[in-house]
Amino acid sequence: MPVIRLVRGCFLALSLLAAPCALAQIVIVAGARSLLPELTPEQAEQFYLGRAHTLPDGSVVTLADLPAGAVRDQFYQQLTRKNANQIRAHWSRMVFTGRALPPQQADSVAELRQWLAAQPNLIGYMPAAEADGRVKVLLRLP
Amino acid sequence: MSLTRLLRRCAAMMLLAAAAAPAHAEADAPASPPRFEFAGFGTLGAVSTDDKDVWFTRYGVNYPGKKDPDFSPDSLVGIQGSLRLTPYNDITLQGLVREDGGASQDPQLTLAFFRQTLAPGLSVRLGRVRVPFFMLSDSLYVNYANPWVRPPVEVYGLNPFNDLDGVDFIYNARFDAFDIEVHPYYGGGRIPFPQGKARLKEALGVNLGLSRGDFSLHLGHGEGTFTLERGDALFVAVSNILQRTGQGGVISDLSGTHGRTRFDSVGVQWDDGSWQLIGEYARRKTNRYAASAHGWYLSLGRRFGPVMPYMVVARQMLDEQFAAATLPSGRLATLWDVFLVSRNNAQRSVTLGARWELAAYAAVKAEVTQARPDGDAWGSYAPRGDVETTRIGGRTLNTFSLSLDVSF
Repeated sequence: MPVIRLVRGCFLALSLLAAPCALAQIVIVAGARSLLPELTPEQAEQFYLGRAHTLPDGSVVTLADLPAGAVRDQFYQQLTRKNANQIRAHWSRMVFTGRALPPQQADSVAELRQWLAAQPNLIGYMPAAEADGRVKVLLRLP
Repeated sequence: MSLTRLLRRCAAMMLLAAAAAPAHAEADAPASPPRFEFAGFGTLGAVSTDDKDVWFTRYGVNYPGKKDPDFSPDSLVGIQGSLRLTPYNDITLQGLVREDGGASQDPQLTLAFFRQTLAPGLSVRLGRVRVPFFMLSDSLYVNYANPWVRPPVEVYGLNPFNDLDGVDFIYNARFDAFDIEVHPYYGGGRIPFPQGKARLKEALGVNLGLSRGDFSLHLGHGEGTFTLERGDALFVAVSNILQRTGQGGVISDLSGTHGRTRFDSVGVQWDDGSWQLIGEYARRKTNRYAASAHGWYLSLGRRFGPVMPYMVVARQMLDEQFAAATLPSGRLATLWDVFLVSRNNAQRSVTLGARWELAAYAAVKAEVTQARPDGDAWGSYAPRGDVETTRIGGRTLNTFSLSLDVSF
């Protein structure tokens, strides 16, 4: 059926076109020598919404953010299903009502790696391709 | 609680925390060094009402200004510093400069607490926090975090108290797919207003939050005692009238130190990133000094990229006035009526507005509110001129608000 082949062809062409634009996978990481365990998506969401800052064993987790931009927006969208505007409003409410302290904002992935190496209870996120041997992956976002 | 005592208490808590910290730190990974966080928020907001014989005012929040447009209802600057002592505790101070109910622009200490993590998901805060009677009470002035220029006055005007000096616990947990927050609190606070003062004492309450995905539910209940000591000209005149007509006993219902109040609220929010629906019902019940009333609002917004137009329908209704007297008709009865009407904020309103995300952490909002105070109420307005001859109840008033909110 020429019509079906045409439709299939269009889908294939679209998927090929879309492929280069697909966003890179993001991972949540700690320093390579950190004792923090792997996280569930629910735990990570709780941390990055400021609703929790301890693990079940009582150890405290502190948070790091990357600068505003595509990676950060994608991270929050995938983890919390909230867009950049929602997240900014949410964190403003959490910080200025005194409910949570804001994540430390690193200037770059390189700086984040340095922080992670120095602070065993700090977690951050980065594109999977940048997660090398200096960090420990705690969660891979879909 | 005075500022000095509050700061002393914070300092004492800091010392206690420093003493207790090593036990925790040794049990876990090496502690992070103390770290200072600095942040702030602000609003520059202008308000104007089409009828120039009345002012828009937020009772208990600001004092009607003398300029048009009026910058006093919404403009403010807040600065916050937090010192993270150990991973388990921190101290937060927040100062706010705005025009308060006493027409003063003196800086106010709006947060001053020491927080200690007690267990996973459970923390305690000691010091000054926000009165959390309603769903958005503790972020009432963080306008950037709210979709509108200001939370609807029909609900948030029911509680004029802002500060809670005392203790609260916040417990967060996840059960199945639900996030639950339990927030009990205890304490007191005070508000200044022209020629008088009000105090909230022994306030005890609990808020419950339940959220799942895009949906969240708030339930709140709080109650306590309060005082309202008035010294304004209208009160003095009314007191004289009551004394002269042999009804001096009524004065104890107008001003004094033996009030009881309770606040109840239920609110819902649904926000899928495109559509935003917020609704809340709240009730204030008092035995004297202030009217018992309830209010609600329903807000619907839709995001189109950086712009979100919204519509809010709101209503406040009087349940019961706080005093009754029988006066001979004429000026005395008129003065008594004005006194009661001035304490009644019942009104209905429809607001159309839009929020524009000007930049990251900066939003411009514009809204037009058409409000109609009830026949026996001033609603959220006050006369500019003679209070006896300026009628507000039953009129339709259009108020335009424009604001720039930032968070940094």
